[in-house]
Amino acid sequence: MAFLASVFAFAAGHKGAAAAQQSAPAASAPSKSAGAASGDPARGKSLFEQNCSSCHGVDATGGEGPDLHGVPASLGDEAVVNIIKHGIRGTAMPMFFDLSDKEAADIIAFLRSFDASATAGTVKGDPKAGKALYESSGCSACHMIEGQGGSVGPELTRIGAMRGPTSLEDRLIDPGANLPQNGTGFYSSKWTEYLMFRAVEKNGHVIEGMRVGEDSFVIVLKDGSGKFHALWRPDLRSLAQEPGKSLMPSFKSALSPAQMDDLVAYLMTLKGAQ
Amino acid sequence: MRMRQWILAALLAGACAGSRAQDVPYQRIVRADREPQSWLTYGGNYQSQRFSRLAQVNRGNVAQLRVAWIYQPVRPVANLESVPIVADGVMYITEPPSTVTALDVRTGLRLWSWSPVLPKHIVSIGLYATSRGVAILGHTVYIGTADAHLVALDAKTGAVRWNVPVADNKMGYAITGPPLAINGKILIGTGGSEAAVRGLLDAYDAKTGRRLWRLWTVPRVGESGADTWGPGAAQSAGGTTWNNGSYDPELNLVYWGTGNPAPDFNDDDRPGDNLYTCSLLAIDPDTGKMKWYFQFSPHENHDWDSAEPPVLLDAVIAGKPRKLVVLANRNAFYYVLDRLTGKFITGVPFARETWAKGLDANGRPILEPNQQPTLGAGTLVYPSITGAVDWSSPSYSPITGLFYVSTHETGAYYIKGTGKIEQGGQGPRGIVGGGGIRALAGEQSYGAIRALEATTGKRKWQFRLLSPAWVGTLATAGGLVFSGSDEGNFFALDAETGKPLWNFYMGHEIRSNPITYELDGKQYVFETAGNAYVAFTLP
Repeated sequence: MAFLASVFAFAAGHKGAAAAQQSAPAASAPSKSAGAASGDPARGKSLFEQNCSSCHGVDATGGEGPDLHGVPASLGDEAVVNIIKHGIRGTAMPMFFDLSDKEAADIIAFLRSFDASATAGTVKGDPKAGKALYESSGCSACHMIEGQGGSVGPELTRIGAMRGPTSLEDRLIDPGANLPQNGTGFYSSKWTEYLMFRAVEKNGHVIEGMRVGEDSFVIVLKDGSGKFHALWRPDLRSLAQEPGKSLMPSFKSALSPAQMDDLVAYLMTLKGAQ
Repeated sequence: MRMRQWILAALLAGACAGSRAQDVPYQRIVRADREPQSWLTYGGNYQSQRFSRLAQVNRGNVAQLRVAWIYQPVRPVANLESVPIVADGVMYITEPPSTVTALDVRTGLRLWSWSPVLPKHIVSIGLYATSRGVAILGHTVYIGTADAHLVALDAKTGAVRWNVPVADNKMGYAITGPPLAINGKILIGTGGSEAAVRGLLDAYDAKTGRRLWRLWTVPRVGESGADTWGPGAAQSAGGTTWNNGSYDPELNLVYWGTGNPAPDFNDDDRPGDNLYTCSLLAIDPDTGKMKWYFQFSPHENHDWDSAEPPVLLDAVIAGKPRKLVVLANRNAFYYVLDRLTGKFITGVPFARETWAKGLDANGRPILEPNQQPTLGAGTLVYPSITGAVDWSSPSYSPITGLFYVSTHETGAYYIKGTGKIEQGGQGPRGIVGGGGIRALAGEQSYGAIRALEATTGKRKWQFRLLSPAWVGTLATAGGLVFSGSDEGNFFALDAETGKPLWNFYMGHEIRSNPITYELDGKQYVFETAGNAYVAFTLP
């Protein structure tokens, strides 16, 4: 019996931002990570399959219920324990009052295990040299750090708290590959962020840009100059996704491996306040 | 004949002048099609056709629709799925979880509001504690509540006439679907299959609240059909009746769909067809006895309930006039049955499905191998857990002969788990799903409004939606089909071609079936989204 309803507000937060609080040791409040250390993710996986997966999917990416990746990092373990044990009134989230605190912690440890891949890797380069490279490579034309820079690409003020070295290097080499997914928007499943589209209007005019908003009638694209285009879908001659493409160039050949390490090292220092 | 026409004209004139005062006798609901200015049942009429003869708003002018008024509840609500009843100048809406509010239909101002005293913890397993609407009969409106009570309220004041428990919420029973009000009786079903409750359908005396009969939808040991459960007959569960039924006043038969068996995905303890889950039941409302049943998905294990509203229509098939009941099932097949006998006439997929090769001569699915939930990574099966369609209502236009259904195009990995029904517990511990699913990503799913030939299921057109939607359709004599998207578009399509003619962005996902009615000579269409109940009309 599947009654569908809203994506829970707490699950709709930016996933990268949610993961950040877990990986930034200085910034993260102790209470937010307490419990995860004591939880057993393997046991949590089994408990999750038994109790939660009917609605949230076995990998917690959502089904009839919302995507839970990043939720413990975003809300804090205490709040998640509370939700597990008491449910959420007015939603389909029931109370699991007879799960023990230990069992709830196991489930949370399982949920937190999904955050690990985004923050993997070790810092190898020199952040100071990396900062110079950032400035000389034109990054700031598109990206903003603490209020300075362009607004075509995502803000990088907290990127070092949101991503790990491996993920950052991957994106510098092939920006259009493995675009991040988030649970905001429609239904409870994940949608690709920064996905490029090519729209052709009736008069043949082509607009290429990344999707920033979409519904069944309208798609809003942001082009390489940062301009928004709200397009009426029924009036378009064609509209196609361009998977793998990005407005950002690859730095694979522009930077040596050592320079790449330096740039990543600099980006990893960016853990500014929210 | 002439006399009948005169009486009809007088009745219509009376209704238009608003001279009635909240009195909707049974005979008026039987003739709901003759007063399109009202919306008297959840499905628009007893046949659940969701078709209106109003044509003032039509292909030529629908683009000019404007907001007339917006109502919002005192406190913000979640999971707004309410479909109003409109009668005699009053609109009866529900506010989640179980509040009934009467609005002045001219202005949207609140006339009265009633809320039950609910227990601190409502058990709502596998469902959202919300209400899809009320029923009206005589001077009374009826609601099923989140804690599984049936309550009768005075239509003018909201005063409680009676309040009876239908089932025990602590066991997982909860009511979200609207009651069905027929001649002197109120029929009500419940949800709770994911809590492994035993499905039931009840009838109550409309005046007193006395229970007249109860039909258990899953048999226990010794009862008819128990042999389709193997050892599971000792604790057969599921088959809940959580949506609305339809009614044929001439045949005096109620048609009501049932949900999945429990546990959903782990079927080890319930070998066999598991009657009468995932079935359509035809019931004599005087006795509560089943006249016939048709099981769409024997031994179901993908959570594909068959609780979709059955639509009753009369049509000519192979030169013969037939009384039909048609249903777009969550399992992705569209079915046409004889509603006198339950005999299968035809059935075809209306969305992508990978689990059946087709249907045999009796309508029983011919299974594909390897499409069952499995341990580990699971099995990719179409449709997804939410089915090719969920609880949102389809519509049928007798003018176009088309059946309009909001369709989900998506699959999921189905994983079998270890969940079992626990014996002797104090109520459900949580979901008794016995497994789970892994949903496909957003870009791998989409929705569509599809127009099917009602007698064959053959697709005439589709209008594609960005994502699967949980919004019913409304067909009108203005040549329009109204529906909504999960992103928040409320829109109108050309009923013949599917061409989009109007779109209004509501700013939040839409989860209610749209309706239409007429006031002071003007047609209105009505939809909800977020916290807003919005009436639209022409300038």
